[in-house]
Amino acid sequence: MSMLQIESVSKQFRGGNYGVRDVSLELKSGVIGLLGPNGAGKTTLMQMIATITRPTSGRISFQGVDVVLRPNDVRGKLGYLPQDFGVYENLTAREFLTYFAALKGVRGGTRVMEMLENVNLHQAAGRAIGGFSGGMKQRLGIAQALINDPALLIVDEPTAGLDPEERVRFRNLLSEIGFGKLVILSTHIVSDIESIATEIVVLKAGALLTIAAPEELLRLCEGKVWQSIVSSEEFDRLRGSLKISAAVRKGDGVHLRFVGPQPEIVADSVEPELEDAFLYLMNFGEAGA
Amino acid sequence: MKQRLQRVAAIVRVDFLVRFRRLSTVVVFLLLCAFAYVWIPAPSTGRTLIQINDHRAIYNSGAIGLGTASLGAFFVGLFGFYVISNAVRKDIVTRCGLVAASTPMRSGEYLLGKFLGNLSFLFTFLGGFMLSSMAMLLVRGEAPLEPFVFVRQYLLLTPAAIVFVSAVAVLFEAIPFLSGKLGDVVYFFFWVTCIGLAVGAQSSHPGIGWFRYFDFTGFGFMIDQLQHALHTDSVSIGASTFDPHKEPIVFPGLSLSHEWFWPRVVSTIAPVLLLPLATLCFHRFDPVRTKRVAERSQRNWIGRLQNLFRPLSRVVVGLLLRPGKGSLPSAMWNDAVLTIALYPLVLVLFAAITLGTFFAPLSRSLPIAFLGLALVLADVAARDQRADTVLLLRATRHLREDFLWWKLGSSVLLALALCSIPLVRSAVMGAWPFCALLIGIGFVAAIATSLGVMTGNAKAFIVIFLSFWYLVVNDAGTNRWFDFAGFYGKANVSTAALYATIGVGALLVAQMIYRGRMSRS
Repeated sequence: MSMLQIESVSKQFRGGNYGVRDVSLELKSGVIGLLGPNGAGKTTLMQMIATITRPTSGRISFQGVDVVLRPNDVRGKLGYLPQDFGVYENLTAREFLTYFAALKGVRGGTRVMEMLENVNLHQAAGRAIGGFSGGMKQRLGIAQALINDPALLIVDEPTAGLDPEERVRFRNLLSEIGFGKLVILSTHIVSDIESIATEIVVLKAGALLTIAAPEELLRLCEGKVWQSIVSSEEFDRLRGSLKISAAVRKGDGVHLRFVGPQPEIVADSVEPELEDAFLYLMNFGEAGA
Repeated sequence: MKQRLQRVAAIVRVDFLVRFRRLSTVVVFLLLCAFAYVWIPAPSTGRTLIQINDHRAIYNSGAIGLGTASLGAFFVGLFGFYVISNAVRKDIVTRCGLVAASTPMRSGEYLLGKFLGNLSFLFTFLGGFMLSSMAMLLVRGEAPLEPFVFVRQYLLLTPAAIVFVSAVAVLFEAIPFLSGKLGDVVYFFFWVTCIGLAVGAQSSHPGIGWFRYFDFTGFGFMIDQLQHALHTDSVSIGASTFDPHKEPIVFPGLSLSHEWFWPRVVSTIAPVLLLPLATLCFHRFDPVRTKRVAERSQRNWIGRLQNLFRPLSRVVVGLLLRPGKGSLPSAMWNDAVLTIALYPLVLVLFAAITLGTFFAPLSRSLPIAFLGLALVLADVAARDQRADTVLLLRATRHLREDFLWWKLGSSVLLALALCSIPLVRSAVMGAWPFCALLIGIGFVAAIATSLGVMTGNAKAFIVIFLSFWYLVVNDAGTNRWFDFAGFYGKANVSTAALYATIGVGALLVAQMIYRGRMSRS
């Protein structure tokens, strides 16, 4: 059963530009990866779902409740971590979390400490946040988003600025939360979602390109990912015309991996990866694919 | 209902903690207490806190309570606004506001929390000041401490000012076009007008007697009470001289007469009515309304005017911009040119100053020119912090260690260019007027740069300079010490030396603080 319905939603800014244009989606519980290049409309779409900004047209409903008409009903079930989340530097982690717990109507220091333990910050609970690393602040951000045990969790570019170990820990945390809830995770880093997303929504220039399970996306570009070894001169000639996903200079030439229809050069078809699928969709996909 | 109250309480608590854990709060509090020490001079120095017809008032709870409460009301009413009017902006910058907006918290609860946060901060601040003033009474007093009399002076004068400034700060932050520099300037004149009307309603303009119900500053009430209690208009509050041969007077302090009861109650409660208006205007952190400051500035009338002159500024900037030679002077020059690119109205200001100098005497045109100059210079040293380009600049040659001197050079160049015609005219008048004006320009540039570097925003300089400018213009050369740039031809060598010393001192302090920050980072 779908938890979130988005029906022909658009957001038009002053001056006529569209942030999101005529997007329709139905999302079930699980971790949903929202993928798209910068400016694709990911943040705007998430802010509309999170009741921060209203759609210009269309309808969004969560568990049958209209997000625009009855925002407070949805806000009680919502956890939101915005992009580039900042903190009050001179509060302690416990004070900071207690504040957001109160705003969300959650009572009790036990829940606060429980959340701090979940994100492995319990030992720093009494320390001023100003002295935290970027990863610790981000974990505190996710703790505030989870403190009310939300049915809908929206996290916008949460892994930006995290080191590889923190990113893995973060992914695992989201993966654990995803059971029975809807987690929407936006990113432009494909590896962040390939192992945890149940479905991937791909946006481009405000429009929906596709929504599919990761394996479907891979199937979509089967036979469209190629590998070849070319000389440096040939590489310089080809780089403008091919959509290259990787190029490594080695002793025998430049090892190329690219996406697209059958190329004119000699190339072998290879197994696609999610990054290839994303690149393919961005360059050859059309809205509603 | 209980949850709503808990949410409001949480907002107030966090606001309070965030503010009181700032070093700057402690510094301002200590400065205010130190100012109280100067404000209450020892009578043996020939100066006194309250002087009535050349008699001095005995230092009892009524006199010291009134003197310090009036000082507190002045500080809270004017400077308090600039201290507290960043609560919502802070939530926009940190994006904590976005999270708050996604919770069941209502907009009205948020703004009420911010209002009560402002209120609790200012009440605590002033409470601390009152206690330190009571301690002053124990040190310099000539009568035993009467706590109730002392506290009464504060209760009669300051709550209206605190409620007023707290509510106006929330309202201004909720209205996008008043939430920035324009709001800072508007508030200053708004507050000065309120004082003028409150005082006028008591003395020169009885026709506006109804304004006593809106005497937020408490000054109208205070003047009326003093006139009635002392039967004279000749009262001075603040460190002033007295005749030691005249008998001291016992001043019992202010009390609330029947006719002033409702005016004081209404003055204290009325500002709360601004909160529903603020709620109506509040953006609730909708990024479409808050995200792009630049976009917003283009929408308001100043932004539109700027856009009107942008084509002209592009031509001028194109002519003036020099490719960087990597030297500090070249960086100063380009930063000054950047100001013209950012604020094309600088060109209009230049034209206005030039025309004003031709058609009006310098005593009339220079004060206005300096007002415009101050508004331009306020931003120069603070804009990089706001634009988040500080780290970028620190990686650039010269600009890390010499940031303050770079900004000072840029400000001086701008100021000299804007005041070039007044400088020529004063040079024609003689060497001394030219030097006095030059020192005045250097003083303004130095203070703007120092405060910009120290605080990272334009607010501190704007409010301090506007207050100073207001005193200078109202004094109109009566006191040569106020004639800092020779507006009225009263400045002498001592005046120039004083302002040069203050300017250099401020720069040295700012450089010390900046170096300290650099070594810690």
